[in-house]
Amino acid sequence: MGKAEDKNILIRKGRIIDPAKKTESSADVFIKDGIVEKIGKNIKVAGSDIEVIDAGGLVVCPGFVDMHVHLRDPGFEDKETIESGAMAAVKGGITTVACMPNTDPAIDSEHAVKYIMEKSINAACRVLPVAAMTKGLKGRNITEMGLLSQAGAVGFSDDGKCVADSMLMYEIMRYSNQFGLPLILHEEDYNISKYGLVHEGHYSSMLGLEGISGLSDDLMIARDIMLAGRSKAKVHITHLSTAAGVEMVDKAKKDGIDITCDVTPHHLFFDDSVLSSFNTNFKVKPPIRSSEDRKALAEGIKSGVIDAVASDHAPHLDTEKNTTFKLAEFGTIGLETLFSAAYTKLCREEKLSLAEFISLITCGPAKILNIDAGKMEEGREANITVIDTEAEQRIKRGDFISKSKNSAFIGQKLRGKIVCTISKGKLVYNNK
Amino acid sequence: MAEEANILSENDIERIIKRISHEILERNKGSESLVFIGLQKRGIPLANRIAENIGKFEGTGLKTGKLDISFYRDDIGRNIKPEVRITDIPFDIEGKNVILVDDVLYTGRTVRAALDAIIDFGRPKSIQLVVLVDRGHRELPIRADYVGKNLPTSHNEAVEVKLKETDGTDSVAVVKKE
Amino acid sequence: MLSKKSLLDIESLELEDIKLILSNTDSFLEISKREVKKVPTLRGRTVFNLFFEPSTRTRTSFEIAAKRLSADIINFSAAGSSLKKGESIIDTLKTILSMKVDLIIIRHSDSGTAKMVDGFVDIPVINAGDGKHQHPTQALLDLYTIKKRFGQLKGLKAAVIGDFLNSRVARSNMELFEKTGMDVTLVSPAMFLPEDFSEFKVRYSIDDVIEDCDILYMLRMQLERQDRKFYPSIMEYNRFLSLDMERLKKMKPESIVMHPGPVNRGIEISDEVMDLSGKLAEKIVIEEQVTYGVAVRMAILYLILS
Repeated sequence: MGKAEDKNILIRKGRIIDPAKKTESSADVFIKDGIVEKIGKNIKVAGSDIEVIDAGGLVVCPGFVDMHVHLRDPGFEDKETIESGAMAAVKGGITTVACMPNTDPAIDSEHAVKYIMEKSINAACRVLPVAAMTKGLKGRNITEMGLLSQAGAVGFSDDGKCVADSMLMYEIMRYSNQFGLPLILHEEDYNISKYGLVHEGHYSSMLGLEGISGLSDDLMIARDIMLAGRSKAKVHITHLSTAAGVEMVDKAKKDGIDITCDVTPHHLFFDDSVLSSFNTNFKVKPPIRSSEDRKALAEGIKSGVIDAVASDHAPHLDTEKNTTFKLAEFGTIGLETLFSAAYTKLCREEKLSLAEFISLITCGPAKILNIDAGKMEEGREANITVIDTEAEQRIKRGDFISKSKNSAFIGQKLRGKIVCTISKGKLVYNNK
Repeated sequence: MAEEANILSENDIERIIKRISHEILERNKGSESLVFIGLQKRGIPLANRIAENIGKFEGTGLKTGKLDISFYRDDIGRNIKPEVRITDIPFDIEGKNVILVDDVLYTGRTVRAALDAIIDFGRPKSIQLVVLVDRGHRELPIRADYVGKNLPTSHNEAVEVKLKETDGTDSVAVVKKE
Repeated sequence: MLSKKSLLDIESLELEDIKLILSNTDSFLEISKREVKKVPTLRGRTVFNLFFEPSTRTRTSFEIAAKRLSADIINFSAAGSSLKKGESIIDTLKTILSMKVDLIIIRHSDSGTAKMVDGFVDIPVINAGDGKHQHPTQALLDLYTIKKRFGQLKGLKAAVIGDFLNSRVARSNMELFEKTGMDVTLVSPAMFLPEDFSEFKVRYSIDDVIEDCDILYMLRMQLERQDRKFYPSIMEYNRFLSLDMERLKKMKPESIVMHPGPVNRGIEISDEVMDLSGKLAEKIVIEEQVTYGVAVRMAILYLILS
């Protein structure tokens, strides 16, 4: 961390969009000693050694919150580490990340949670641990949810896995009420998805790739909605991929169930027609589904059923992706393209307003996790992102600073580029 | 309607207590070896009064204990069970002359149970029985050493003893049962 | 006399029965203080201790109680029995009945067995614990212990801590405490509660009740009875449900700590608290519970057989 980052910062003439306050204005932002000192028009500051950012024509908003990220640390540090992942995050304008517990060892114990909390201190962005629901993510025994929540976990998840034992899932939900943290649920019925690689549909059939029917997600979503209704637990369905899923969450909300959901940029951007390339970066779980599903997800965003966009950043080594489709690992990275990919699709194409979109990656996820983030106000620690919404770029492999390069967006033309990111009061990313 | 005949008045009872107290002292040649046990429930105030009297004469304090014989009865399981009251014998009876006090001596079964209970507490030198009224009709070979009044009765009569400490007044009456 | 032939559960006890048992216990307590701890009350009666589940405390307590009343007591434990050779419970009962016993005391690992036995025999039956269902004599001795300490029961605040679902002691105790006018709060995590626990006053952490309760009743963590191992760990139990020195010091001055025994040291109650001496140690009434247990069982045997 160099000296440049510790300077006071003046962001001038930006278009400030604060979805938490529902305001849009043209103003300056002055950051002093890492705190937002003032937001207003034509701020005059005395003193030299101030980093001045000319934000004319640029958008200035709260730093993003990505609530579904795999940092692979501890255990798979060759793919990513907390440090490298945080650097990739701030390049994507993200200042708060919730990381998933399927590491090695899993984040299923007090000291594992503390490990993440400690490593987060020096990371470029805030890293908050999501703890495991079951020990070792084996789907058999409940973790010490009380100890984990007291140690700093912001939620519980077995992501990567789904708890198949319905009785156990029910007990987890009932127990979670004691602690008030959300259960972030990866929905997959293993008996249906067992041999599957891609979405079960016209393309899987044509390409000779085993399919995973939408039922895999939907059956488990239906189950967990019923369990949530009975137990009154707070649940969050992550990486929604089916039209039926959107419908069910919509109905559940109307029935008064405490449920939220998110969708990934790649599920919004692609449908299964891209599979013809056999590009393994499109091999993800849940799979990229049909155009009908994709449309339903976009509609779900516009109608407000979907509460957040989260990357499901899943780093893998080249050796794990540069192989046959069958053998390749599931997953795509997504921190650095979170904004641009989703912005391109939702705002440029689907005509969602910029403010509404930004709320889906700031105050929306912050509310779900009940954390103090996604806000930009005087007196608060500065976490701010400056964006050039007009910029256009074709994504190249060499663009990525993440340790892994398995991005589904390589070769795509995306609008919107992060210009600079202020995280924890410091200018950690500057591409001006 | 039950017929009632008063047998002893408050003054009568007072005189009896005084007399018995002297008799006990005479027989035991003093109060040194004496301890008093009253049978629940009216034997207890009687025992207390006697012990107090003797204490006054002799200038000493005398100990009284309480005994409930419910667990030593011979009719357990046969009758409606009466209320169990406390037993509290806060002294050693070993080698002592135990003065056992009850209000009415009738069949003798209560006293028999009391003897069994007392023996469980130790080996006294002697057990002497004081009763306020002996109404006859013994069914066991039991006799009182000190009797307030001999009162022959028939089976369809009941002897009602009232004492200030338990009933607010001192009297003994015979009541004909219907 | 009690209102029913047998003592199977708390529900069928009338308030009069409870009063009678408690008042009689005073007398039986006195007997246990004598040098000759015996009265001839139940001489010649035969009591059968039919224990299908291992138990030292309860069985011994009943044995001492019966013997102090001069009754004869036979001990049957499932281990050395013909039950293993395939004899059914009913056949065992027939054999016992033909020996003309006067009372059966039964403990079994299946809920409802006491009632089943009671329906099959004409003699009185005392439930010494049936599965997860009831343990009425434990509840009664616990109530007596409370009465001895506090004098009266109405309005006292009792907090019951631990695994409700698997505990017959919890069921009997909570029912009896409420029946006699006490205010009961259950502290239990969701996995030890029924699906719908709206009929109880529930809290999730011992810290929610520690400063307010008059009676802290610690349930045994049923390590051997957990069919589904849903509770995460002992450390988690310690954090939310255990009694340690810090929590003990926060309790009201006259409040007491109870446990049906045996205590899982370091789980329900910390070693430090268990090994206490001095003023604070007076709060722990576990040994008194055992002493009163014999007297209460004497009273129950007496009232049922007389």
